[in-house]
Amino acid sequence: MVVVRRLYLLIAGALLWAVVTPVAAQAPSGTVSGRVVDSVSRLPLSDVSVVIEGTRLGTVTREDGSFIIGGVPVGVQTVRARRIGYASPQVSVSVVPNGRVTADFALDRRVAILEEVVTTGYGTQKRLAITGSIATIDADAANVGAIANVDQMIQGRAAGVNITQNSGEPGGGTQIRIRGGTSISASNDPLYVIDGVPINNIPTETAGVGISGNEPPLPRNPMNLLNPADILSISVLKDAAAAIYGTRAANGVIVIETKKGAGGGPSMEYEFSAGKASLNRHLDVLSGPEYRSFITAQVAAGNVGPSVLAGLDTADTDWERAISRDASVINHNLSFAGGSPNTQYRASLNHMNQQGVILSNGFKRYQARLNGSHQAIDGRLRLALNLTGSHIKNDYLPFDNVGGFEGGVFINTLIFNPTLPVTVTDATTGASEFYEIPNQRSLRNPVALAEEIQDFGATTRTLGNISGDLDLFKGLTGRVALGVDRFDSNRGTYFPRSNPVGEEFQGLARQSNRNNTSKTIQTTLTFQPEIGPRHDFSLLGGYEFVESDLAEFAAEARGFVTDVLGFNGLSGGSTIQPLESRTEESRLVGFFSRATYGFMERYFLTGVLRRDGSSRFGEGNKWAVFPAISGSVRLTQTGFVPTGPFSELRLRAGWGKQGNPAIPPYASLLLLAADGGSRSVFGDRAVTGFSPTQNPNPNLKWEETAQTNVALDYGFMNNRFTGSLEYYIKNTRDLLLRVPVAQPAVVSTRLENIGRTRNKGVEFALDAQVMDRPNLNWTAGFVFDVQRNTAVDLGGRSFISTGRVSGEGQSDSRAQRIIPGEPIGTFWGPEFVGVNAAGQQEFNNYTVTRDAQGRELTRTLSGKTTSPDSDDDRIIGNANPNFSFGLRSQANFGSFDFSMLVNSQRGLDVFNNTALVYATKGNATRSKNFLSSALTDNVGITEAQIYSSRWIEDGSFVRLQNITVGYTFGSIRYLGAARQARVFLSGDNLLLMTDYSGYDPEVHTDAGIDAVATRGIDYLHYPRPRTITGGLRVAF
Amino acid sequence: MSLSRPPLTPIGPELMRNSMWKKSIKNAGLITLLALSPALGFVACTDLTESPTSAIAPENFYRTEAEVIGGLASVYAQLRQVTEAYYNVTEVSSDEYIVPTRGTDWYDGGKWLELDRQTWGPDSQSSGELNGAWSALFGGVARANGALEAVEKVNFPSKPAVQAELRTLRAFYYFLLQDLFGGVPIVEKTILVAPDGNTRAQVFSFIESELNAARPALPEKWSADMHGRMTKGAADAILASLYLNARVFSGTVTATGLTPGAAKWQEAVDASDRIISSGTYSLASNWQSNFTASNHQSPEIILPVKFLNATDLGLNFLMRALHYNQYSPTPWNGFATIAETYLAFDPQDQRRQIFLEGQQVNLVTGAPINDNQGNPLVYTTDFPSRTGTAPGPDNTFDYAGVRIVKWPVDAARVQQNAGNDFAYFRLAEIYLIKAEALNELGRTAEALLLVNQIRARVFATPEPVPPTTQAGFRDVILRERLFELTAEGKRRQDLIRHGKFLLPWYNKLQREPYRILMPIPQSQVEANPKLAQNPGY
Repeated sequence: MVVVRRLYLLIAGALLWAVVTPVAAQAPSGTVSGRVVDSVSRLPLSDVSVVIEGTRLGTVTREDGSFIIGGVPVGVQTVRARRIGYASPQVSVSVVPNGRVTADFALDRRVAILEEVVTTGYGTQKRLAITGSIATIDADAANVGAIANVDQMIQGRAAGVNITQNSGEPGGGTQIRIRGGTSISASNDPLYVIDGVPINNIPTETAGVGISGNEPPLPRNPMNLLNPADILSISVLKDAAAAIYGTRAANGVIVIETKKGAGGGPSMEYEFSAGKASLNRHLDVLSGPEYRSFITAQVAAGNVGPSVLAGLDTADTDWERAISRDASVINHNLSFAGGSPNTQYRASLNHMNQQGVILSNGFKRYQARLNGSHQAIDGRLRLALNLTGSHIKNDYLPFDNVGGFEGGVFINTLIFNPTLPVTVTDATTGASEFYEIPNQRSLRNPVALAEEIQDFGATTRTLGNISGDLDLFKGLTGRVALGVDRFDSNRGTYFPRSNPVGEEFQGLARQSNRNNTSKTIQTTLTFQPEIGPRHDFSLLGGYEFVESDLAEFAAEARGFVTDVLGFNGLSGGSTIQPLESRTEESRLVGFFSRATYGFMERYFLTGVLRRDGSSRFGEGNKWAVFPAISGSVRLTQTGFVPTGPFSELRLRAGWGKQGNPAIPPYASLLLLAADGGSRSVFGDRAVTGFSPTQNPNPNLKWEETAQTNVALDYGFMNNRFTGSLEYYIKNTRDLLLRVPVAQPAVVSTRLENIGRTRNKGVEFALDAQVMDRPNLNWTAGFVFDVQRNTAVDLGGRSFISTGRVSGEGQSDSRAQRIIPGEPIGTFWGPEFVGVNAAGQQEFNNYTVTRDAQGRELTRTLSGKTTSPDSDDDRIIGNANPNFSFGLRSQANFGSFDFSMLVNSQRGLDVFNNTALVYATKGNATRSKNFLSSALTDNVGITEAQIYSSRWIEDGSFVRLQNITVGYTFGSIRYLGAARQARVFLSGDNLLLMTDYSGYDPEVHTDAGIDAVATRGIDYLHYPRPRTITGGLRVAF
Repeated sequence: MSLSRPPLTPIGPELMRNSMWKKSIKNAGLITLLALSPALGFVACTDLTESPTSAIAPENFYRTEAEVIGGLASVYAQLRQVTEAYYNVTEVSSDEYIVPTRGTDWYDGGKWLELDRQTWGPDSQSSGELNGAWSALFGGVARANGALEAVEKVNFPSKPAVQAELRTLRAFYYFLLQDLFGGVPIVEKTILVAPDGNTRAQVFSFIESELNAARPALPEKWSADMHGRMTKGAADAILASLYLNARVFSGTVTATGLTPGAAKWQEAVDASDRIISSGTYSLASNWQSNFTASNHQSPEIILPVKFLNATDLGLNFLMRALHYNQYSPTPWNGFATIAETYLAFDPQDQRRQIFLEGQQVNLVTGAPINDNQGNPLVYTTDFPSRTGTAPGPDNTFDYAGVRIVKWPVDAARVQQNAGNDFAYFRLAEIYLIKAEALNELGRTAEALLLVNQIRARVFATPEPVPPTTQAGFRDVILRERLFELTAEGKRRQDLIRHGKFLLPWYNKLQREPYRILMPIPQSQVEANPKLAQNPGY
């Protein structure tokens, strides 16, 4: 890469320039050292930034709160300590030549608004000067319990940020929506920035092989590469504050800073935790005896043939219990840090081994991380290196994303006959083997599915970035940062002959590889002149280049004589499937600038301008400009309002444009490819065919969101209570929407920029210092948000159908429609009114008249029907919550600490697809088990399952997400060499309060049609476990 | 570097490359500038041109004959779609197939009941199937258009034949499109804007003229390894069928019914005669050899949809029809036929063997099988209602309904992919087309001879049709076409041509006259506002 080579030259040039520029003569100096503690708990505080004001000298405190800064010029110096969540006091010390002076700090806890420094786009900003909407999360407070990745740390802690785990699968993915999803077809995922480098947050392993053509589960979380214990802070940029990231900012930005090394003597910390996870909710199906008595009654009634009874076995198998287990979660963290005044390092190692609560699946992480920093030329050159190497091993479970007819582990757990045994002894060999129903493959022993099907993934990922900051002149700093992110993965899958799923293929083996390299170059120039005490001005200009290359390869063979080789014996297959290979590349270029101005720490103004180009768009539409402007006024300081109860009152407002470029590369081009649908047959052999795979759209461009944000930050009772109230409105236009195109067309849909959506909402956050006494410190936080989403326009279309209804007898059935004027996630179907005497479901029957264009003119209710048609379909629910909230609390009582987290959503509808297809007695006529609720529902055994309002449930819930209790040993006496130790006990997902009848109302199933968004559909998925974790942390 | 360069680029890349290092040592000022330059983006890479690596831009393809064949193959590949949504719509809406709800299976939002009862609408459940047919067939048109445009720009020896093949394929896709939807837009090149609709008569003329133009350049016959590509016979067969249905296909459908176009009986006879007299085709001595896995060897097949026993390339008709326990892999137990259709067959007629009735066996092992309740699996001719209250077979049992197995098991199938070809046109139908047209021209006696020629091979003891009147022969030919062509995708056309498509049968009431055309799916009307919905919908 030419650019990389040039950058090397530039860095070399910059270094050289720094060297040849005269530096100040060496002056006599001394050392400042000290210790930082919490003013209330008196516990040491680590990761506190301590600086000598007016110089570039500084360090970060160690685990025991101590710090040493060398090379401090003699004379009276001001030392300031800063940490997120605390006030930042300063003390004056008198430094003598080669002497050592002490500066101890006891920091007062502060909340949100007064935090000193916040990591934002391309640098840090003083919290006071920030005019946009940024939520910050204290990583240490959030990293409790069984946390596998950074996403889980955000849940319930930031207003307007909705986190839904895809399932309870170990290492499973997460759906994050910052201020709601704006897009219908394109991605709604936020941008992740780790230590300043944007991450290409795509699945690291190839998609799985669906069982019998069903969809495999959603991919695991790409953020698994990062160990939560390495994270220092998380900032969520929600509005115009994100605009500095231009095209990638429409869904918000999550900025992650990792922990850095501290100067002074080395410190070491070791943490170990172990947990037990188990299922905490159960689906009630018929037991063996219940099933037998049900069948007996149905045979007597003539609904089921007598031979079914004869076919029942005598076992009483609880299949849910048979597939589940008490799973262990083990986590080791070892870190050490240290350095000299000019060079600091922090290194950490992590191993996490998380078993699934379902048999034979799990997630392992081996990770090492090194942060180093060095200051040279009298602190004017600052170099930093962050290096993460991680190896992830995924053991996958065969289940389905959207179900289907026959299904994987979870579906068969519900339907497999409870009178059948898990294993049987082979009469001839005497060996124990899994029981399978003879001569059929559509019902599968779920335990055998979990145990016999092999599906393993392994990802090695290296994330490295290096940066150099150079103070060119007073107030002018240049920065060059290079980042590389590389992952390589392999996935091996084998369906053995011995299992009904593999029997069809006589064994199916597949290996697939996926790798990606993303390179980032950023150069910025920051100008921060001193123009008097009343003015605060800064100007940032920069350039960013991101290039990403992805490659995939897969090979599959079928027809094996033995299962012994598993997926490692592809050459032993009798049929080799067509090989698959694919590469893609994309580039993004940005020029950006940001100007901030503050007057007397009372008025603040920020302007952002970014010009971005992306290779993914149409030839004439690759470049776009994104402006943003925002400002704030501290009303209490300016005398605009009487102080009254408020100790702080600040009005913020901002407006900005952001883009969403989240579409695949080459999406604008007409391309030919050889795929299965282009192969043909001439004579008696297959002929490779090439055909267009997509419709061209040379005008394809960004999806554009304009967001207006108005907020009030407040503090009262001397800032014991602080928080903010925000209102936003996001108007998104030129939606990247996949819509049917006028035919003839090579493919029936095309990505176009049509339609508009609107998101608006109110967010409320309150942080309280409830008690602040010696030996008792209690803080609490509350976040609340209301979001309203509307599909404003669909480019003239009256609706787009989406949301597959899945299961037997549900082909082509759709649960949702996106309709102009209604929210995304609107359920559409007939209105269930009851069951008639014959056991048939009844629905409202409407008579509808329409105009020539098919638009509804009149609608009259005319009785009931047992066979609803399209005229009977109406809006029957909304998957979006009325509001959601999170509540957290943290208390220190002497040496004890206590924290808890609650989150909740109210007023959301969930389509219980699981109940639709499994809460039916008719399953018994197929020798399948069913949910016990069907026993009492009066619906006839012969009735088909019909999607209707009957299956739309209230999904409101309150979840006790975490409770943690800890005890800190401060005394050396018990600890030998250790300086400090803490033990803790933590419970995750302890309590779920909901009327919802399925496993969990918090669902994310990607059930879209043509990538059109769906919300709130519960197809049976991996249940979220309850986890109890105990641990120990020792600092040396 | 840089197709679209940003405004700030005073220092060119050349300067950077050549002089930077040496001069920098001497010239501190320049170095200062260089140190600043990255921040200002002076050396920014701004090239955003996309060069796909695992797909091909069309301008880089179709340069050799091998590449052209690759493009051509994809147009043929779309023919397999004829046995999917198009087949489901045309067959289930006729009296040949019924797809009843079976307990918990096959309700599918009610789409099959709509097709059975002919109650479809532009935005109803079954519009998914209609949309599938529309998209698949127009996809074939679009692929043909793209290939024709590309082939135009290159030269290779077989160019005229390939162009003729592509035009014939496109005409065939239009033939099927107008059959379901009437006046669809005629488009002959790759387009990015919504096209205008056409009248059905215009589509008729387009198909006719395209086939006549393409025919001379098509081969009489392909070598065995190219079997399945378009021939003169295939073009003539499409023409013969087009002319046979000319009164419908070139007519106008309004809310009150069909205003027929001009009859083309003589043209139908002429097109049929070109095939019969070519000597290329002959009736297979064994009727069943047109359907077995080796049916590509049958001398009777004129326009096959090719299948192969390989993943994604096989025929899966058995999956739709057979009971779960009857075949491997597990079938879907859906499609059956109604009693009236099954009972219309003469028990002596070998063609009745396509039906499975009574006690069933596993078609792979031959062993008797049970249903999922453990009872012997016995297919019944009727569809007992599970609920006992609803009229007709709203919800019936797994065993209900006689099944059609016209394409026998392929022993070498790969999962559900069987290698049996689906013959859209074969010589027997050409005989029947000619017979029907002759009868309309008053030549009933000649017509009878042709019908009896077809019947001769399927009865152990010959049962020729006795002489009849012109009107009587119309019933004869409609029945004979049912016997010969059941499940071959022709019944809906035949019933419409004979004015019987809307009549009530087993589970269906008399329907409105406009239903001889399908509605254009609502999503297509919205994608192309220039399309007028078919009258009545």
